[in-house]
Amino acid sequence: MRVALFWMLAVASIVSGWRVFRTDSMVRAAYWLMASFVAVGIIMVQLDAEFLGLVLILMMAGEMTIMAVFMVMFMMNPAGLNPMMMVHQHRASIVAGVLAFVGLAGVGIFARFPEPTLRASGQVTAQLGHELLGDSMLIFETAGVALLATMIGALAIAGATGRFGSADEGSQEPGEA
Amino acid sequence: MISYGRLLGELATIALVLLAGVYATVVIDLWAGRMVARAPVRAFRALTFPIRQTALFLLQQRATTERPDAPLWALAPALLAAIAAASLLVIPFSSQTSAAGIESGIVYFGALMALVMIAVYLNGWSANSVFPIIGGYRFIAEALSYEMPLALVLIGAALPAQSLSVSAIVISQDSLWNVIRQPLGLPIYLIAGLGVAFWGPLALPDAADLAGGTESELSGVQLLLWRTARIAVLVAVAAMGAAVFLGGWTGPWLPGAVWMTLKTIALIFIMVGAGHLVARVRLERFVLVAWTVLIPLALLDVFAAGAVVLAGSPR
Repeated sequence: MRVALFWMLAVASIVSGWRVFRTDSMVRAAYWLMASFVAVGIIMVQLDAEFLGLVLILMMAGEMTIMAVFMVMFMMNPAGLNPMMMVHQHRASIVAGVLAFVGLAGVGIFARFPEPTLRASGQVTAQLGHELLGDSMLIFETAGVALLATMIGALAIAGATGRFGSADEGSQEPGEA
Repeated sequence: MISYGRLLGELATIALVLLAGVYATVVIDLWAGRMVARAPVRAFRALTFPIRQTALFLLQQRATTERPDAPLWALAPALLAAIAAASLLVIPFSSQTSAAGIESGIVYFGALMALVMIAVYLNGWSANSVFPIIGGYRFIAEALSYEMPLALVLIGAALPAQSLSVSAIVISQDSLWNVIRQPLGLPIYLIAGLGVAFWGPLALPDAADLAGGTESELSGVQLLLWRTARIAVLVAVAAMGAAVFLGGWTGPWLPGAVWMTLKTIALIFIMVGAGHLVARVRLERFVLVAWTVLIPLALLDVFAAGAVVLAGSPR
């Protein structure tokens, strides 16, 4: 049962990853990638990395949506609803793709993994917490707090009310427009 | 080895709980609306209202748009309903029902609530129509704003339990419920929960000023499925709130499942009542308040909860 589920998820992640490049819309491509990540996330849950797998899905849901919105904003394609070619520079990208695949597959096959392999202790989340809030705490917290403060600051600046009304009403002086 | 009979039984239980919750929510919504309007409530008509409404939707002709993305449009309500059903897996309704063997129940719930954004955006995007897609974009801005406060207050509630499992959080409230221990938690959770179910004051993607927004091109069965799924999300949010902030199944005299049901209905009543008492807020105001007020307050909630845990733990 577990093995069958693993193979189903593995195939699903590869097929949806392939669909990312075969579809003709930015939004569809983003959500095929999301589907691929969800499959990988569930595989990670299967591998006892429950917290990491769930956090992967949690983060990717937001990230893929933001990516889709940004692509739609930057492309001259109204709302990403018109069909468009999602791939370009075919030769270079095929070479890069094959090289990356061979490299990663080579690592998977030929690399020596640490012996003995870690046993599933059920303490993965706790170990992760000790790592993040132990040795790596300064880096982790500095980056996290700086990013959050930046986001809140950006929102506060963008949403501030100025002399000529609220931010969404434009900055032009009344009567000039 | 998994027992398939037991699996089917649990799936049927989840479906039944969700449908009963949706039915109750529609009745409560009607009742609260009549109370706010000071109109008389006719009990029989209120109780049969969901059935009549369903029949109306089923009889309605289904309209479509020009070249919609039909598969994704059909997927959106299914995804939303699946999110609600899947989140019920980790919500314990009594001390006996074990939660699907997922230890990080709170993270699981958070991941599912993040997927709501995808369902709503797809529902707006795939219709290939103006108002739905504006509603979809609106919801992305709304969802990115409520997600952080939601996650933070859930983490705050998990701190006294020193566990991410929802059952452990319920057990940790044996002496004192989190709603009293962490006074900021439940209000922020309920505001974020209104956002998750895009309900009442935070029903922005399908607002009237967008002529229905993401809902404006839906009709017939499709509209019925979408609304049912959305109410199911509200039920799931209320049930999680009852478990995490109101002590879940704990309570005197009555069996645990009854307490859990009563607390869930109380939270549904508060959220649905807010829909009748509070005006719809403007999106940019909500985004600003969420980032500059709700997130700092939620951080304060987490810090206070952590300080209490540290002060109480033996050195």
